[in-house]
Amino acid sequence: MRPLLIAAALLSIVPPARSAAQSFLGFRALGAPVLASDGRAVGTGNIGIGLRGLEFSVLDPSASARLTLPTVSASMQPTWGSFELEDETGSSNTTRFPLIGIGFPLPEARGVATFTLAGFMEQRWTGERSELIDLAGEQVLVEDRFETSGGTSVARLGWAQRVFRQRLAVGVSVGAYVGRLEQSFDRTLDSLSIGDRIRPFSELSEWRYSGYTLAAGISADPHDLIHLAAAVEWSGDITETPRPGTEGAANTYSVPLRLSGGGTVQLTPRFQLNGSIAWQDWSGATGFPDGAVSHLKFTYGAGLEWRAIQQETRSVPIRFGYRRVVPPFRYHRYDPIETVWSAGLGFNIVEFAAIRLGWIDLAAEYGTRDSHPLSERFWRGTVSLGISRF
Amino acid sequence: MPAPGKPDMPAPAAPSAPLVVSGLAFAASAFLLATCQVELPTAAREELVKSGVAVEVLVPFADFVASASVFGGYGRASGLGGGFIAHEFGSDVDENGAEVPGLEAATLVRFGRYPSSVSVVDTAGTNRLDTAITFHAGGVLVRLDTVSSVAAGPVDLVAHLVTEEWDPVSAGWDYAVDTVDNRVAWSTPGGGPGDEIAVGVWDPAAGDSVELMLDSALVVAWADSTAIRDVRITATTPGVRLRVSSVVVQLQTIPSIRPDTLLRIGLGATGATFIYDPLPSPPLGALRVGGAPSWRTVLNLDIPRSLSGYPDLCRQLDCPVDLRADHVSYAGLQLTTAPAAAAFALSDSLALDVRMVTAPRFLPKSPLGPSSLAVTGGAAVAPELYRPEAGQVFELPITEHIRDQLRGETAFGDPVSSTLALMTVFEPLSIEYASFAGRNSATPPMLRLILNFSRGN
Repeated sequence: MRPLLIAAALLSIVPPARSAAQSFLGFRALGAPVLASDGRAVGTGNIGIGLRGLEFSVLDPSASARLTLPTVSASMQPTWGSFELEDETGSSNTTRFPLIGIGFPLPEARGVATFTLAGFMEQRWTGERSELIDLAGEQVLVEDRFETSGGTSVARLGWAQRVFRQRLAVGVSVGAYVGRLEQSFDRTLDSLSIGDRIRPFSELSEWRYSGYTLAAGISADPHDLIHLAAAVEWSGDITETPRPGTEGAANTYSVPLRLSGGGTVQLTPRFQLNGSIAWQDWSGATGFPDGAVSHLKFTYGAGLEWRAIQQETRSVPIRFGYRRVVPPFRYHRYDPIETVWSAGLGFNIVEFAAIRLGWIDLAAEYGTRDSHPLSERFWRGTVSLGISRF
Repeated sequence: MPAPGKPDMPAPAAPSAPLVVSGLAFAASAFLLATCQVELPTAAREELVKSGVAVEVLVPFADFVASASVFGGYGRASGLGGGFIAHEFGSDVDENGAEVPGLEAATLVRFGRYPSSVSVVDTAGTNRLDTAITFHAGGVLVRLDTVSSVAAGPVDLVAHLVTEEWDPVSAGWDYAVDTVDNRVAWSTPGGGPGDEIAVGVWDPAAGDSVELMLDSALVVAWADSTAIRDVRITATTPGVRLRVSSVVVQLQTIPSIRPDTLLRIGLGATGATFIYDPLPSPPLGALRVGGAPSWRTVLNLDIPRSLSGYPDLCRQLDCPVDLRADHVSYAGLQLTTAPAAAAFALSDSLALDVRMVTAPRFLPKSPLGPSSLAVTGGAAVAPELYRPEAGQVFELPITEHIRDQLRGETAFGDPVSSTLALMTVFEPLSIEYASFAGRNSATPPMLRLILNFSRGN
């Protein structure tokens, strides 16, 4: 129990799910999506479903059914990005914590209770403007700065149940959208035009997100070398409510149904391939400005994992992957596409019968994100830690 | 899921030291990365920035002031330091339309005892105390503020001995003593008859001071510790008003230990004031700030919480528009100068302050909030605003006061009063006062607001 307590204590010093997509995508809507996966899924190009041995998945509630011991896992993602927006260029960097998961098996019930806190959408960017305005008959230079910081996460409680002689698992989860958004608008008027006693204008708006989601998943091993999974997630509306002191009415956004599936094929005892796909049609989603949502529906990814070193209770896998993600919100009127190439390295420190009890996964990604006229590039690292109670 | 036939649970094992170390390393890395500086992508794009609206609004007097009052009598002339001298200055019609005779003003000074010794450097270069000194000559040295003084040419000054008992703190034109429980009139208004003891001519072109030479017999007589050394200084040249910076007696003596040396010893005043006539009458409709004793204008504000009917504002935002403290980037109280009695017209800038009246029910003696000079910087009313004639706009910044009113408390969370006092930065600051058009004039005060709003996204 002590290592688990230590892990929980260590996780407690990590800022709670503060993540940042740091993209201009979706600036008119909910922002850019956060792919909430751990280092192993990231490294193998998996979008979070159908990867054999996955401990926690925000897409598939049945994924945690194979946990045999209480387990906690957390991921951390430093990101370095750059963008081109017509004649403008810039950079960004941040660190995010896209996924924290806790699983607690109940052997008597042959199931696992799970809790995950995962990023969903992020909005972190700054816009600036400089212009001349007419004020009291004078042409006055004003400098405006609008900063948006925040996003939505999902806290999920789930149950994964093993059935049918261990070859089948089903799972359900119920989740709540949580999060907040802070927007600050600062305007400075040129004192040379209007006098040095003029005060800058500053306005802070704060919003709170709420809503709920339900998901169900199924995973199976029809053959010792094949693992398959499928899941469906239904969401109620996300409500954006102004916090006290913020003017404005609440906004409501619909979130479309998401269907996802994936699988893994064991080609050799040390080598496996995986593929995953998700379908979500945002084009009919309501509550967003006209033209803000993308019409693209499919996100998919694939990759491989090779256990370069395999010992009785330890292994070191090497991973490669590719993902094509369709963010739900455009910059202007072009559907955005994100493509990511990834590589990863795992340290399965304690492993028993292909079940990881302690691990560190590292992954590095290079991605591009395009929605004309916006073009973004990023390097992203992922470090995940998982510990089970001994 | 484990393959069929494999055990569900692994065999218990010892806690893994590498795992704990890895966990610590992970947590340390996470903490370091989480505390690293975050750099947001920043782009200068119109579509990324909320719309902003900046607009100037002129709020009419009736829409932001519930009532206005003018109170006088703050401070005493003796608190001014220095004094004034005037003769037949500014006979005119005041802002009430009343005939005002020329201003008469005299500076009264009480000098202390002569020194009983002086320190002298003897022929050997040693400092020695000479106690055997006698004063045989001297004069009253009057130093004037040339900027604040009004005189077209040389001015004849006269010094009289004040022979009646008077109080340097409370004395006025009619009363030598004017305290709460004791009032003693001069035998003749203006400081009593007195004997002329010295005359002189101040030429503004020659400098800022003039010495009125005293008779040597009087200098000797003043050496008596019981002698009256009270002097009244007046002018006999008509149409002048002089601001006195200081008055001292310059005594001359030849020390016994250095008979070849003439020493000039300054004898300072132990009390001084100035008396004048006529006193300004209370304004009937105008607003007034300044004078000695001082006048204050007290405004009871009623700042609108929402605005409508302002074309520039309503063209850009849906009226009525709620007004919050944050929206006010600037607030200025626009006052239009009104002609004042020429006797008290500004000859130099008058620095104004705005302070909150913390207990309006105790007016005119209510305590005041802190000076807003540090916040607003105060403002000086220039005499040019009354030249060639009044009717020019003077703006007093009161941004913080208006924001406090709208916020319902100060920026520090202290309670606010809706009553403000317009006053000079010190009271009294000058015999001169500033006069502004009041509620019923053609140009009542206005509140100039520069407001900022955000709009949509």
